[in-house]
Amino acid sequence: MRSTIFFLLVTILFNTGCRKDPPGETVSTQKLILTFDFMIDGNPLQRDTLLYMNEAGNQYMVNEIQYFISDVVLHRPNGDPVLLDAWTAIHYIDSDLPDTRRWEVYDTIPAGSYDSVSFTFGINEAKNQSLMFLNPPESFMFWPEYLGGGYHYMKLNGKWLDTNSVVQPFDFHLGIGQIYAHYPDSIIGFVQNYFTVSLPNSAFSLPANGQQQITIVMNIENWFRNPNTFDFNHWGGDIMQNQEAMRLGCENGHDVFTSIVAKQGSIEQK
Amino acid sequence: MQQRIPSGSLKSTKPGAIISLIFSLLLGFVLLHGCKKEEPSTPEWHATPYEIDIPYGFPTNLNIPEDNPMTVEGVALGRYLFYDGRISGRSDPDSMMSCGTCHIQANSFECGINHPKYFGGFPFGVTGKPTPHVMLPLVNLVWNSSGYLWNGLVSNANSNPAYRNIEDLVWMGIVAEHEMDSDTNLSKQLIQNTSGYPELFYKAFGSETVTVKNMGRAIAQFIRTLISANSRFDKYLRGEVQLTPAEIQGFILFTTEEGADCFHCHGGDGNPLFTTHLFYNNGKDSLFTGPWEDPRDRYHITGDPMDLGAYKATTLRNIAVTGPYMHDGRFATLDEVIEFYSHHLVWSPYIDPLMHHIADNGVQLTPAEKEQLKAFIAALHDEEFLTNPDFGPPDKFPDEE
Ligand code: HEC
Ligand code: HEC
Repeated sequence: MRSTIFFLLVTILFNTGCRKDPPGETVSTQKLILTFDFMIDGNPLQRDTLLYMNEAGNQYMVNEIQYFISDVVLHRPNGDPVLLDAWTAIHYIDSDLPDTRRWEVYDTIPAGSYDSVSFTFGINEAKNQSLMFLNPPESFMFWPEYLGGGYHYMKLNGKWLDTNSVVQPFDFHLGIGQIYAHYPDSIIGFVQNYFTVSLPNSAFSLPANGQQQITIVMNIENWFRNPNTFDFNHWGGDIMQNQEAMRLGCENGHDVFTSIVAKQGSIEQK
Repeated sequence: MQQRIPSGSLKSTKPGAIISLIFSLLLGFVLLHGCKKEEPSTPEWHATPYEIDIPYGFPTNLNIPEDNPMTVEGVALGRYLFYDGRISGRSDPDSMMSCGTCHIQANSFECGINHPKYFGGFPFGVTGKPTPHVMLPLVNLVWNSSGYLWNGLVSNANSNPAYRNIEDLVWMGIVAEHEMDSDTNLSKQLIQNTSGYPELFYKAFGSETVTVKNMGRAIAQFIRTLISANSRFDKYLRGEVQLTPAEIQGFILFTTEEGADCFHCHGGDGNPLFTTHLFYNNGKDSLFTGPWEDPRDRYHITGDPMDLGAYKATTLRNIAVTGPYMHDGRFATLDEVIEFYSHHLVWSPYIDPLMHHIADNGVQLTPAEKEQLKAFIAALHDEEFLTNPDFGPPDKFPDEE
């Protein structure tokens, strides 16, 4: 056994020479590439223009979106889940930062076929700890300690045309909710609002030594519909201290994400 | 106090994965060492690395260019140059100007509203030409990777390599009409001919020849040491002191949307820099074109109309001594600033979406809440930083030693 390993080492060494490969390339032969897109009403998001109408009839625009996903799980047909547990187990996506919209997962992912992909929208209770991200941009997502701590799951910032025909800012921010004895002080409890997303039509197969790209699409209009019609005129511009509004938003989250599984051999280059 | 790092769970790791891991580690090691190029053998010159200790809760990534590593000798030289008026290329005491002429430690490296010459805190250059905007503090700049100056002109994203980092603000300050209004050749020659300096340049950079590039490097190294992390609030975060009830109430107001709603742009417990170093239109004006156009707002950097009237959200550390406030110095006191955020926001299509209290013209704080907010902001005052002798002017310049 030991000599085999030695032999292998030497062979790999000779074959790779001094090429600069991405970390882990030489050991992890299968690779998953997750990319992130934003759509509204079936079209690519056009930012900063009052182009859209939500189900409540609010005319609105989107300026920027920042969010976290975590606990990405690949489900095998036999039910054996593969948890992507690379050091970047929590991934940050920012509409302004192209680098965040591509996540190359170098874990050793077994080759074979998979039925579906699921993930946590936001960060689960155990992992959502204050000061675990010290560096921007993730650190800018901090959720104030007083309101439950940890990090925003999402900041979706935009503007809508209010009943007085004035364009007003909205900050659709989701994270840990609070239970108040007397609003807005006397917080007596917190509500974990993160939830699991199962991506429909996300079956794929990962050939040995192959790679697979899956695009995770946020269909923005769905945050504001099904089952709850979210009306900005009713809920106003900010919801971090309004658990009811965050609950409705998170309930709508179940069908916000869809996936596009790239055909094998058609990996989009960076 | 211990900092928490994400706990990588090994639940799903198969033994095979562990073996692969060991493999890759081994392999990486061998490759790294096998391919390391021989360092060109340097003669005796050697500078001592300067380590920046990361304060509790601060980012670990530092904006230090690869070609200007921090050294004890570089920082020491930078401090002399920062305070030496001869860097302006002039030796006549009346027209000498240094960085420290405007950037004064006691005012968190601004000129301060009580400046005897820059009346009201509005500085001007040697020829009397006012600076286009008021001052910015030099605090914790080693953590700013999003651009220096009010509009972020000097940044790694600038396609012109002459406008990338703090180093570049040195030649810019020497030539700017509203600052030293000089010539980099003059200042280089004067420093070269001042006894003591060539030796210090050798110690810092291995060459006695004074170059503008090395002057920039040294001053930038000094500025990167200007770290403020010992305010009452820092001590509170580290569990060393308790805040007063008014400060706590102010902290809650600062970090809640239904309170004063400052944290999205100015930081808080998860971002102790008390700034994002990003650019926002915070609702001061409604007109930004024609006579109201400012050729130095963020829009003139990005060309994105959403950036009209946007400027850098400054840090609120030591804010009491850095008046007047906003890029144009329109507010003389912190009370005026708090009044503004509370009641006098102005709507425009360009207002940042984070200013969602615009519908009510502001966050509508009560008089008691305004006092609490001020008490909290005062807890960001770091007297140790403002009096640290390492940051102040040297007792003697190199030719006086
Ligand atoms: C005449 C007064 C004056 C002098 C002299 C001066 N500065 Fe400044 N400095 C300013 C002003 C005003 C600003 C803000 C400029 C702006 O953004 O419009 C500034 C901004 C800066 C900034 C950016 C800070 C930030 O947060 O982005 C740095 C760094 C800086 N100066 C370094 C220097 C150095 C180094 C020197 C000496 C070579 C110097 N300054 C000389 C007035 C001065
Ligand atoms: C949308 C982001 C945003 C929010 C929210 C915000 N600010 Fe600001 N703040 C800014 C920007 C941008 C500037 C600089 C604007 C300029 O110079 O024109 C600024 C400037 C300031 C200044 C003056 C700094 C200086 O050096 O001149 C103070 C003080 C200040 N803000 C305090 C607050 C307080 C207190 C709150 C909460 C009540 C708050 N800000 C909320 C973005 C924001």
